[in-house]
Amino acid sequence: MLRLLKVRGASLWPDYREGDYVLAAGMPFPARKIRAGDVIVFRQPGYGTLIKRVRRVLANGQAYDVRGTQIASSDSRNFGPVAQDQVTGKVIASIRAKQTSQNSQGH
Amino acid sequence: MLHKIVQKLDQHAHFESVDAHCDIPCGIYDPHHALIGALTVIRMVDLINALVKEHGQGSTAEFINGMARYIAVKEEHAELTKHEIRIIWGDFIKAQHVETYPQLNGLVHKIMQLGSKARQTVDRETALALLEAVNEFAEIFWQIKGIETKRVPAPFPVSEEMVLPVL
Repeated sequence: MLRLLKVRGASLWPDYREGDYVLAAGMPFPARKIRAGDVIVFRQPGYGTLIKRVRRVLANGQAYDVRGTQIASSDSRNFGPVAQDQVTGKVIASIRAKQTSQNSQGH
Repeated sequence: MLHKIVQKLDQHAHFESVDAHCDIPCGIYDPHHALIGALTVIRMVDLINALVKEHGQGSTAEFINGMARYIAVKEEHAELTKHEIRIIWGDFIKAQHVETYPQLNGLVHKIMQLGSKARQTVDRETALALLEAVNEFAEIFWQIKGIETKRVPAPFPVSEEMVLPVL
C-alpha cells in the first residue's frame, strides 16, 4: 500500500523540509528490506507518527536505530531502537516544497 | 508544480502528517529583552556622563555611590543583551535560517563583541552600535517567524529607534 504523507518539523533538514510530501510504501516489504540509510515512518508512543533515517539495522532486522539530522532531533538517542512492528512504511519518493517556508521553529 | 498539485489535494484529502521532531515543542523566544538591555546601556552611558558633568572629578560619597550604581546596571544590561541573543541564536536559529540569512552568525558575533565593548567603555557610539545590531537581529528574527516589524522611537528617556513586531 502506498501512502502520501506530509512532513512537519525540521529534524531531517535539509533532506526533508517542513511542507514536503513523501510517498511511503506500507509494511511488509517482501522485496524491499529496510537498510541503513532508508527513511522510515513509524509510530512512537508519546511522539506520534515520526519520520527518521535508519542509522543501523539491529537484531537481524527486528529493530532500527534511527536518527534525525539535527542535534536536537528526537530519535533513538531519546527513545531507543524502533521495533519492526512500529514501522508503518518506508519512504520511496518525495515531493519537495519550495524553499520559502522558513518559519518552523524548535519543533 | 507537482508540490502545488499535491498541496491542493491535501487541502481536501488532509494527508496524515509525519513529524520530524526536535527536542521541545515550539519554544517562546523574543528579542525584546535584548533590546531593553541595549537601550538601558545607552541610558547608563548618558547618566554616567551627566554625573561627571555635574560633579566634575569629585569623589564625594554621593558621586561614588551614583557612579557605582550606573556602572553596575550598565554591566548587567550589556550582559543581559548578550545572554538573550545567545539563547535565541543557540535554541531557535536553525541551519536553514543561517542559509537564508548568511549574515546571521556574523551579526551575533558582532553583538557579543559590542556587548563586551559597551561594558569596557563609556562610549555612546558603541552603545548605539550595540542597539542597531540588536535591532537588525530582531528584524531577522521576526522575518523568520513571518511577522512584520516596524521601527519606532523607544518610549523611554532614551528615544533611539527600536524594532517591534506588528502583531
